[in-house]
Amino acid sequence: MAEINRTKNIITIFVIILVLALIIWPFVYIFISSFKPLKEIMSRASFLPVDPTLKNYQTLLFARTPVRDFPRFLFNSLYVSVFTALFTLIISSISGYGIARNRRLRAGLISKFLLFIYVFPTVVLLVPIYKLFTTMNLYDNLFGLIIIYTALVSPFCTWLLVSFLENIPRELEESAGIDGAGTFTTFTRIVIPLASPGLVTAGAYSFITAWGEYMFALILISSNLKKTGPLGLATFTAEQYIEWGPLLSGSILIMIPVFILFMPVSGYFIKGFTAGAVKE
Amino acid sequence: MLKIRKNEIQQYLFLLPVFIIVLVIFAYPYIRNLIYSFYDISFGGAESNYIGLKNYTYLLGSGFFWESLWKSLYWTFGNLVIQLIVPLFLAILLNVKMKGIHLARSLIMLPWIAPTVAVAVCMRWMLLPRIGIINAFLTSIGLMEKQIHFLGNNTTAMPALILLNSWKFLPFGTLMILAALQAIPLSVFEAAEVDGATGFQKFRFVTFPLLSSMIWFVGFLAFAWNFNTFDFIWLTTQGGPGTATQTLPVLIYRTAFKTFRLGEASAVTVFIGIFLIILGFFYFSYLTPKEKQ
Repeated sequence: MAEINRTKNIITIFVIILVLALIIWPFVYIFISSFKPLKEIMSRASFLPVDPTLKNYQTLLFARTPVRDFPRFLFNSLYVSVFTALFTLIISSISGYGIARNRRLRAGLISKFLLFIYVFPTVVLLVPIYKLFTTMNLYDNLFGLIIIYTALVSPFCTWLLVSFLENIPRELEESAGIDGAGTFTTFTRIVIPLASPGLVTAGAYSFITAWGEYMFALILISSNLKKTGPLGLATFTAEQYIEWGPLLSGSILIMIPVFILFMPVSGYFIKGFTAGAVKE
Repeated sequence: MLKIRKNEIQQYLFLLPVFIIVLVIFAYPYIRNLIYSFYDISFGGAESNYIGLKNYTYLLGSGFFWESLWKSLYWTFGNLVIQLIVPLFLAILLNVKMKGIHLARSLIMLPWIAPTVAVAVCMRWMLLPRIGIINAFLTSIGLMEKQIHFLGNNTTAMPALILLNSWKFLPFGTLMILAALQAIPLSVFEAAEVDGATGFQKFRFVTFPLLSSMIWFVGFLAFAWNFNTFDFIWLTTQGGPGTATQTLPVLIYRTAFKTFRLGEASAVTVFIGIFLIILGFFYFSYLTPKEKQ
């Protein structure tokens, strides 16, 4: 019996590794290929670079022109994503707290409604948001992107935070109240620290979404100085002659911050993401 | 009594931030859309004339709207089938206790969190004929006789895109179904074992029914998301070759920002909105499990 279990285990491990390899190999391949010289990128594919080079990264990072200023694009993305995450956390923790502490709201339509907003077809917003933002001076303005991204993620992050916030024992808040703390103090000193795993999840989620968003950046940003990373990378592909080398290294540079941010918090992330869904 | 009242009002005040956002960024623009759809609006909005239902009659009478609708359904259901079936198996595979399984679960999430732009750009390169590794691989193992320009070919563009997009979204379904699997108490399986259930019977009669509400949930999200996909298609084929991958979201973008007919684009979005509201209504009223009291 133990013998059977052991072979079964080994087979499971083998299958898991195989499946993982199948799912992950494009990233590995792209990473390796980003060190290939153009000649190898544009010829019949070999897995490993014959003549590895840093040139793809050098052209992208140091051969800057006003039209193709990739470090600037990345910085714009960073700016937009950080503020999106910050605003989203403020908004969704306040609203999430309101829902978590009110049984009628929690059980009622509100949380379903937030979830419905999550699947709202954002493509239907293209025309009206474009018109609205042009009249409000938010067109070609990074702050406009921050507003729209915050709006896109905060309903879902609210929903996400509810399941974290409702697990905080009410007695803790009550005893803080007895000790003379007001609602605001209780919220900032007791509730927020206890909900930090949820906040990390929501923050990472909003950062990652804002960092990779393309559609609204495409319609709302026009000048080269204000392009975000995804938009900048995409414009490289629209050029007459597509330079695949910098495109590959650019893709890697856009993916790396997301992966670095995600891996340490992935445990929280997975737990937080699914906690609400299992209940729903 | 008064105390409770005050508390409740306070709790509703907490909801204000998210509600203001939903009103300003979702509800108001959507209503504007409805209004625009009755106008003939050129880009910049210098002149706009009320034309009644003309945008709608024009769309319904044109071949390209119906073609895009068909493309959208093809795209959505193609994605849906893969994104429901494969994650089910992946989740069962990953639902084991062993060293390193957490790392495996995190790694499997990478395609989902990777920015779409990067994935789309790299996939375009990998799919190219002569240069790309996918063509090289498929010909070398003898699956194909000659190289195919997958994204530049009317028949292959859509299936290729569906496979790529599904690869990106597999992790999401896997994660959700895995969580539902882990919420099933072990005692249920033990009871089934005592009754002499085989592995397959356990899956068919115990696991699967307990997962059904999560599968509907994932199905609903996947349907809505895929139906709305714009960036992935736009970044790989721009709806081409020709109109081979021009789904409704691509049609909206093209109509509004390439041919500058904003009113007409708004009319298409009204269709999409109604369609998804009906879908959401059905999901929430019939398919979500009733609250246990």
